[in-house]
Amino acid sequence: MHEVLLTLGFGLVAAAILSLSALAFTLEYSVTNVANLSHGEILTVGAYCAYLVQQHGGGVILSGLAAAAGGGALALAVHASVVDRFVRRGIGGLPTFIATLGVSLVIQNVLVIIFGASNLGYAVPQGAPRTIGPFLWTDTEIQIMVSAVLITVLLYLIVQHTRFGKSLRAVSQNRSLARVSGINANRVASLTWLLAGLIGGYAGFILAESVGTFSPYSGFSFFLITLTAAVAGGLGKAVGTLVGGIIVGIALEFFGGYLSASYNLAFAFAILSLVILVRPRGLFVGGRRSVFE
Amino acid sequence: MINYVVSVLTEGSIFAIMALGLNIIWGWSGDFDLAFYGYVALGAYMTLALTIGAPTEPTTYILGQTLPFPLAVAIAVVSTMVLAFIVGAIALRHLRGIYFSIVTLGAVYVLYVFAGQFVPLFNGYNGLSGLFDPMGDSFGLDFNSWPFFYLGFCAAVLIAVLVIVTRLSGSRFGLALRSLREDERAAAAFGRNIYLMKLKAYVIGAGIGGLGGGLFAGYLSAFNPSAWSPVETIVLYAAILVGGRGSNRGVVLGVAVMVMGLQEATRYLPEIANQPSFAPAFRLILTGIVLVLFIRFRPQGLLPERRMRDEDPADRGGAALPVETPIVGPSLDTGAA
Repeated sequence: MHEVLLTLGFGLVAAAILSLSALAFTLEYSVTNVANLSHGEILTVGAYCAYLVQQHGGGVILSGLAAAAGGGALALAVHASVVDRFVRRGIGGLPTFIATLGVSLVIQNVLVIIFGASNLGYAVPQGAPRTIGPFLWTDTEIQIMVSAVLITVLLYLIVQHTRFGKSLRAVSQNRSLARVSGINANRVASLTWLLAGLIGGYAGFILAESVGTFSPYSGFSFFLITLTAAVAGGLGKAVGTLVGGIIVGIALEFFGGYLSASYNLAFAFAILSLVILVRPRGLFVGGRRSVFE
Repeated sequence: MINYVVSVLTEGSIFAIMALGLNIIWGWSGDFDLAFYGYVALGAYMTLALTIGAPTEPTTYILGQTLPFPLAVAIAVVSTMVLAFIVGAIALRHLRGIYFSIVTLGAVYVLYVFAGQFVPLFNGYNGLSGLFDPMGDSFGLDFNSWPFFYLGFCAAVLIAVLVIVTRLSGSRFGLALRSLREDERAAAAFGRNIYLMKLKAYVIGAGIGGLGGGLFAGYLSAFNPSAWSPVETIVLYAAILVGGRGSNRGVVLGVAVMVMGLQEATRYLPEIANQPSFAPAFRLILTGIVLVLFIRFRPQGLLPERRMRDEDPADRGGAALPVETPIVGPSLDTGAA
């Protein structure tokens, strides 16, 4: 029993990272209806920004902020240079999806040219493991989980209780209707992508902290798991995505801990295929709902 | 120099074969299949496992036969089609658009992880090797003359594939596939069995991909998981998109531009110290940019597919002036997600 709870504790750490990444992905999807295949690169760039700051003597907080800023800038750039233009031209979801695959290829290889293709070590002092209830966590892991919860709560407040959040929900439900009602849909979409980029960049930072190494490709690999969580929870549905992220994160940790970590990705996609085949709209979606309900 | 030209042309022919296969799935049937390179890889692995003989310690892999190369490739193609049938039967049943793409991406990653991690299958990350100059001995060719022979062989296969896909393209099956791509519901209303047709196209396309993979194995003499990262699929898609989606001539042109042309264009890039991966990375950046620009500005490609009409000659007499349909490529967005 004790061992099960320990694994659950590690699973919660993975779930925290995964949920943030999946939330960011869902935000991007909700306002543009584009599944952004270059989402993983937001995480990667976040990790590299944090790494650079750390190399120049920055602390954990500064690294985290740099990661968020880097991710935000990248998301804004991808939205402005590709996604927004495609959406406004009425180029449909699938072609834009293919285009973001091209964007992902570009970003990955720019990073390869700048930093090299090999793994970089991201060493942070983890702190001694502490026993909290039945769980065993290091300081870094506690920081990861606490910050993830705080960001999620903050995001909830923004989406649910601000004017911008209201516009976001309106645009995600019906872009044309939102525009007719006087909402500047393009601006809302840009800001949402910025917000998603901030979260995604930070997710990349905590991913690097938790794994300890990263490369230009690590964001893309993690994105594949993110996709599992986001699609299982329901594309564009925030609460579903959050729950999907937690379930997939914990499930992967149990699978990796008890069977074999090498097959994690295969296992994630097995879950995903099952979910898509049985409930293509996601596990927690019933009827018409907005992004944060 | 001449050796270099021969190797570029051989690689080009092989990639053209793969792209023609993918074109059936994406160009005609309209499914954005991210698992395609998995079929190429399986074709290559099977060909190797069937030709290089029993495994010696410490390598382990299945089969381990010493069949003649053409027979091995044929068996590889069949096994590829079986795999494509399984994946396609699951993924094509209800899924379209990005959901189909995501499931096929998952399928290829499952294959990738298994090929890499499950050592008894195809020797894990080290992969298989040892197929030297296939068919060279039976024709009495040596190390120098074999590449010329193999170029001829690949070119001959490419021409055969081209003839077959061109016939298929104008056939009722080819036309019907395009009707699915354009409007699935309308095609269903006209009595097409959409699932069956899409599945058929998927299996045929994957089989051609497996054929390309088999030839690729003969050319490389080895294959391992690092040779088939999903990036390769994107390169094939870029080639199809640039050449003209749905059009066979366009696809061949696209491969010439995107695979061979880009290779040449980036070959003389200056070597940068400590950056062995500069040229390939730069090539992929260009591929990505070209992909985005073509989707945005010229989705029909350089040599657009011609609209085909199934005309009954008997109708000609009665009709007034034939209506000229403009030559436009297929629309990229087929069916909502």
